[in-house]
Amino acid sequence: MSLPAPHPIYTLRGAGGALNTLHFRCHGEDPHLLFSGSGKGSIHIWNLNSRRAEKVVEAHSGSSVTWVSTLQSTDTLISQGRDMQVCLWDLNEGRSELLESVWTGSVGFCQCSLLETSPTNYLLAFAAQQTEEIKIIELPSKNPVCTLTPKAKVGMVMCIKLWKTNSGLGPLLLAGYEDGSLLLWDVTQRAKLSQVRAHPEPVMCLTFDPRRLRGISGSSEKKLSSWTLDSQNNIQLQDDVTLVNPGVSQLCIREDGRILASAGWDDRVRIFSWKTLRPLAVLQYHTDMVLSVAFSDHQDPRQRLLAAGSKDQRISLWSIYNDGAGKG
Amino acid sequence: MSQINDPKVAFAYLRPACVLLTKEPTVANVETLGEQLKEIHDASLQQLQEYVLFPLRFVLKVPQLKKEKLVQAVAEALSYVLEKTCVQSWDTLHDLFSELCLCLCSPTDPGKPADLSEELKSALLRCLDALLHAAYGDIVFKLYEPIMLPGLGAAVSLLLALGEKEKSREVQAAALRCLQSLILHCDCTQEHVIPSSDERCSVGSTMASFLPGIAMAVSRIITGNLRQGHAVTVRAIKVWCGSVGLVMEDAQLQSSKACETPSQELGRIGQLVVQRAPEWVKSTAGKLSVLLKKIISCTSAHRHWRVRLEMVELADHLLVACSQSLRECVGLLLEALVGAVNDEEPKVRESCSRSSDGTSQILADVLSENLHSLATSLPRLMRTSNDQKKLFVLKVFLGYFKVLGPLVSVVLNSAAHLERISKALMQVLELDVVDVRIVEERSHGESLERSSGSVGSYAAHIPQKHFLYFTDEKIFSVLMEICRTLGFYGNIYLLTDHFLDLYRQSLVYRKQAAMVLNEMVRGAAGLAMATGAQCLDSGVQGPSASQEDLKVAAVSIMEEYTSLTNWNLITTCEETDGDRQDHDTTAIATNSLQLIPSSSAPPPPSMTTSTVHQLNSNIWQLCIQLEGLACLAQALGRDFRPLLMTSLYPVLEKAGEETLLVNQAALNSMMCISQACGYSSLKELINDNSDYLLNDISLNLQRLSQHPQAPRVLTVMLAHSDSSLLPLIRDVVQDVLMALDLSYNHSAALFCSVLHALMKALARWFPVSRCRTGGSARSKTSTDDFNCRQFLLDYQKQKDLAEGVGIEVDDTEDLEVPPASEGEDAEDICGPDEKSELPSHLIITKEVAERCVHLLSDPRLQLRLKVLEVLELCVYVLSERENELLPMAHRCWPVLRQRLTADDPLAVLRAFRVLCTLGEACGDFLRRRVSKEVLPRLTSSLTRQAPVSAKAGPVYTHTLAYKLQLAVLQGLGSLCQRLDLGEADLDAVCEACLPYLSCRQPVRLQEACLSVFQHLIQVDPDTFWFTLNELHCPCSYTPPHPDLPPIQLSGMGRPRDEYSDNFYFCLQ
Repeated sequence: MSLPAPHPIYTLRGAGGALNTLHFRCHGEDPHLLFSGSGKGSIHIWNLNSRRAEKVVEAHSGSSVTWVSTLQSTDTLISQGRDMQVCLWDLNEGRSELLESVWTGSVGFCQCSLLETSPTNYLLAFAAQQTEEIKIIELPSKNPVCTLTPKAKVGMVMCIKLWKTNSGLGPLLLAGYEDGSLLLWDVTQRAKLSQVRAHPEPVMCLTFDPRRLRGISGSSEKKLSSWTLDSQNNIQLQDDVTLVNPGVSQLCIREDGRILASAGWDDRVRIFSWKTLRPLAVLQYHTDMVLSVAFSDHQDPRQRLLAAGSKDQRISLWSIYNDGAGKG
Repeated sequence: MSQINDPKVAFAYLRPACVLLTKEPTVANVETLGEQLKEIHDASLQQLQEYVLFPLRFVLKVPQLKKEKLVQAVAEALSYVLEKTCVQSWDTLHDLFSELCLCLCSPTDPGKPADLSEELKSALLRCLDALLHAAYGDIVFKLYEPIMLPGLGAAVSLLLALGEKEKSREVQAAALRCLQSLILHCDCTQEHVIPSSDERCSVGSTMASFLPGIAMAVSRIITGNLRQGHAVTVRAIKVWCGSVGLVMEDAQLQSSKACETPSQELGRIGQLVVQRAPEWVKSTAGKLSVLLKKIISCTSAHRHWRVRLEMVELADHLLVACSQSLRECVGLLLEALVGAVNDEEPKVRESCSRSSDGTSQILADVLSENLHSLATSLPRLMRTSNDQKKLFVLKVFLGYFKVLGPLVSVVLNSAAHLERISKALMQVLELDVVDVRIVEERSHGESLERSSGSVGSYAAHIPQKHFLYFTDEKIFSVLMEICRTLGFYGNIYLLTDHFLDLYRQSLVYRKQAAMVLNEMVRGAAGLAMATGAQCLDSGVQGPSASQEDLKVAAVSIMEEYTSLTNWNLITTCEETDGDRQDHDTTAIATNSLQLIPSSSAPPPPSMTTSTVHQLNSNIWQLCIQLEGLACLAQALGRDFRPLLMTSLYPVLEKAGEETLLVNQAALNSMMCISQACGYSSLKELINDNSDYLLNDISLNLQRLSQHPQAPRVLTVMLAHSDSSLLPLIRDVVQDVLMALDLSYNHSAALFCSVLHALMKALARWFPVSRCRTGGSARSKTSTDDFNCRQFLLDYQKQKDLAEGVGIEVDDTEDLEVPPASEGEDAEDICGPDEKSELPSHLIITKEVAERCVHLLSDPRLQLRLKVLEVLELCVYVLSERENELLPMAHRCWPVLRQRLTADDPLAVLRAFRVLCTLGEACGDFLRRRVSKEVLPRLTSSLTRQAPVSAKAGPVYTHTLAYKLQLAVLQGLGSLCQRLDLGEADLDAVCEACLPYLSCRQPVRLQEACLSVFQHLIQVDPDTFWFTLNELHCPCSYTPPHPDLPPIQLSGMGRPRDEYSDNFYFCLQ
């Protein structure tokens, strides 16, 4: 069975730079939005109804924006830029005012990770000034929670993922390092729980499904490596997925846990079944490296879009495997 | 003049005249009395009434005295008296009534009018009318007692006969007026007796006896002679209305009195009395409805508005008074009323809306039933009747909707009604699609660009639709109003669903359904709607559909219209330009009319499946759908803006279509949309929505096989927008180029037109400021005041310089070198920067030029020509950047040389143009190549061919060789001038061209050759003057100073030969 290759339902253009990061916000009554951070330092807020940039926030004084996210509870946008700042923006009633900014001191590309512990408090993990160091602070109070530095030499922090377990343990943090190691940290104990060498090359990206305790990481080589956490919180390496072309910028699992999308350096977005890791589709539209992928958090599963941002300055929106329960 | 007020004085005054009249009944005496009567005051006259009347009546009574003049005078006097006074005694009334009737009727038959003069008749009728008006209330009703039936009957039939048969209009009208008075339905300004209900009932009973006669005769009058003038018809309608209204009045019939049996004492007269029993009422109503039908059919479309107005009054009156008894006629009456709702005369409309307000509340059922039956018969009527009738029927149809008002949605809930109405509309609106021109007409690319210049003033010619069943434009507009009214009052969801169903159901209905939908949506938005004052429930104003509903409906309609199957219809016989084979004919090159392939030519595959009919039908469907999108935009106004995301692309796609009609419809639609959405111009519309368009273009370019139109949309966009589009367009251009790279063979032609549009747009957006123009510096030398001395001095100086005498000048030049190199350094420094910051339009141009180089050697001539054009534009755009231009020129040189030296004449000519443009921008760069690689071949071929063409017959002009010669000659001159060629080359050109100055050459070659020489003369006038004169000198020259030797030119004194004429021409 081979269906014709899908086409994007729409492309957003005019970002004026490579699109490092994408973030959907489709819950609630508001017009559904997509945030994108560009290599030229601007954050575009796209209205998905009119398919136009509703607002452009010049966030990091021209430095590349590496990460954007929003808080569930309030109209707050968080952005991280290569100017070593993480900024909070108030988006209420059409404003875009700078609320806070945190200096990270990191010169790397590691994207922050956000965990909302309560409607008012949330934890932010980011790579700090020392190359191997990860800092976690509480916002909005800006109180430092902990600093995590591995004892072994693993190189620069490449990617982190903060999440909360169901087992009553405190928040856990997964981090990928330059030498290809994955480390699992317990934030409250400030202790390393497990370490594994997942890739021979730097870990470029990782994503984790807390429900299945299963994650996957990508590197600059041809392999995606998947792993699980056992009951002792040890990382167990599982199957590898071999790609056609090397290099993955980002991985993203859809909220329903059915499919996984990868942003490839070969200009393509690949879709895998998250359960079996079987390749399902290759989305080909971009003419340059795909840097970011994101799934929409729309309440109606049928309207959950996939967005891919590329170095060719376009964002493509796809509607795939979302016609009900039959597929995926 | 004071009147005599005292009755006694008056009596004394009148008495002699009266007496005299009695004794000697002459006209003079009657007139004397008449004069005297005028001096008596009304009150006195009332007292003397009996006295005065006596002599007058006496004259009437005496039979032998009945001379016409006399009777007329008496009648006039009588009228005067009766108009001024009241008749109080029954005897007087009765006697006068019968006397007057007697005078009018023929002696043998009391029912027939006598053969009298018109003046007399009208005098008598006036008198009778005055009498009826003068009668006192208590006595006038005695006239209607059963006993009076015979006399009254005679009078009625007499009046009817007069009204019907009489030739004079005045008499007719007067007789009818009398009848009006008789049936208590007088409309004059005098006071009238107001009968009590009992009295009215008895009058009604009496008149019931005459109703058949009156109704029939009067309807004959109404439907009779069309030329009788509206006054008579109006009167007759009034009589009909009055009599029927009187006899059939519901109020009377419901009371028991109506069917009282007549008393026995009447004897035989009793048989004449009609009992208005229910059976009688029923049968009478049946007969009346037949008459009514005739009357309505005759009057409702009457030319004079008063007649139509009267008809409305009639319908109104009868509906109010007799809706029960005349149940059978209610439908007819309503129809008449409804038909007049849309009358063109405002008074009629006004009266109509007034009356329908009052009457129709309860009649929704009847109305909807009528509507149903009318809808059923509509298609038949539209096929068979004439335009005026059709117009009326449709107005009635519209009237029903208007009168029903908001009830329309209730009526339409009945599936039967909806079905009937929609089917009727479908059949009526059927288009005539046999016109062949529709398919043939082609738009030329220019129309598209012309329009971009002056958007506001540009109004594309709106094609007129031709319908099968009618031609009148008015009919169409009524039909459209019907659709609007439907939309205005109806349930928009239901209607949209239903008509979209019809649209999908069958090809036959598709166009009509789309037309109905278009207007319906407009109506639903309240556009082009007269305010609904006529409707039953006038409390509700404004359309029934909310803006939200409208939006939903609009979206569904739009999706249907622009779906692939309904939008991508075949409108041309050939699929695309690309599929055309490379014919060696100019017909196709000029993109002129394309004939439907005749049977001799192999038909393209698409022709086998689609006939001209189908193509026409497709074209119309597209036009209607395009109009539809405009309608939707108008209906939604600014709310249409979000829908532009999906609708603008399809419209632009059609704006790039070749078929003229579709093209124009699309342009119109674009204008409408831009207006409706609040954009000031097409440019703004496209610029503001370019992101939507570009998205679709970019996506569709990747699946070109399914969406071959994508490049066209880009073409239209480029034609209509400005340079602000450039940043956005850049990556789409990349897409285009990539798509082109992937399919050179398949769709290169299509892409070429895009590239052409792109380069044209770039050339327009970034005009090049030309500072260097080739020949201008040289042409200045030909000054008028030729100074011999200065010339010689200059010449000396030049010669010295050339021999190296003035070397020291070089020092100053050397001094100038360092700053020059400094400038170079500066250039070097900013060089890399410049490279990275090359404006995007130049980057695009470079890339396009790159493709051109590849495409220039394409085997298809058509394509090569187009590519040459594109290349020329590329050169133009790049001409200010030598750094970019020169490598490009270098790259394209080999292929261009091929075009110049070994290609079709058309291509040669174009290539020359490119070369000239190139020469203008970088002549120095090309000079050597041209003189080395191109010129020798061209000149040698010219020289070789010259004797051939000189000897050839007229057929030669059709050969390829001739065309080639012509092309080369046409291009050579300007090329020489632009490239600033050296003397040797010019000599070569001159050498090669000279044979073509012979008058034996074909005329066009001579002309072309003359143009070469004209160019050459501009380059170097002296040399060519000399060259020409060496060959042939028309006149001798005397030196300006005797010291100078006389000029000897070898061409002097030669006999006239084949070259003479053209030489003269050149030397002028």
